[in-house]
Amino acid sequence: VSLPGFPDGLEIETPPGEPVIRFRRAVRAAPAVVFAAWTEPDQLRRWWGPAEWTLVVCEVDLRVGGGYRFVHQDRDGARYGTRGTYLRIEPGALLVNTFTFDGTPGRESTDTVEFRPAGGGTLVCGTSEHESIAARDAHVGGGMERGMRDTYRRLDALLAADTEGKS
Amino acid sequence: MAETGLDRLFGALADPTRRAIVARLSQADAGVIELSGHFPMSQPAISKHLRVLELAGLVTRERDGRRRLCHLTPAALQPVSEWVWPYRRFWAESFSRLDEHLARLDPGAQP
Repeated sequence: VSLPGFPDGLEIETPPGEPVIRFRRAVRAAPAVVFAAWTEPDQLRRWWGPAEWTLVVCEVDLRVGGGYRFVHQDRDGARYGTRGTYLRIEPGALLVNTFTFDGTPGRESTDTVEFRPAGGGTLVCGTSEHESIAARDAHVGGGMERGMRDTYRRLDALLAADTEGKS
Repeated sequence: MAETGLDRLFGALADPTRRAIVARLSQADAGVIELSGHFPMSQPAISKHLRVLELAGLVTRERDGRRRLCHLTPAALQPVSEWVWPYRRFWAESFSRLDEHLARLDPGAQP
């Protein structure tokens, strides 16, 4: 069953039984341009994060083994920090890095972003690989909203039922 | 209120036969007799499952001549996908800001 699409052109997939989340989005610019926007602090500050968030810390040491540090601040002044290390860099094509959110230290995912040429623009394909399905769900759901917990539980049960049915 | 709808939705989807019916209807509308040909159960049993899907807002039934055709309402599934909302919001808004940023970089390249 495929979930209905959203009008923003963003596809998000959380495959049952895999601790992975994928997103895809087409962008009207060449891969080299999108890659630069993705990796240059001066550009990142202009777009990285939701509309009402400000990127107050943006440090990028773009080399294999180098790290990045981002801190977002929302309208209420709350800060959200993330950090990681670059594992693979292919300018204009691919970026692989580790990712840790300050709120869940010790929980690391591996993020891959591919910049594929498509129709004169770029198809940005992201994959986050987590340690477990629970870790993935905490990440994509924000892991904090109380009202959502029941939903997670029911969804887990739903996905578990699907997995049992297949094996 | 919304919680009740979500409960019903999850309840409806918790059953493997009902998920299979949803998957089947996502390809094409079908009548009850047609559907019961695909599952090892009686027509009344299938009708019962359809009723649950109908109450959850996932399926509507429309008369087509002498048959009553079952039609999937995929929009009803949206709340199930909304558990990824914080993540979706982060990326949807980032990408829309990226679009604007890139348009400013090179206005000529934009449609």
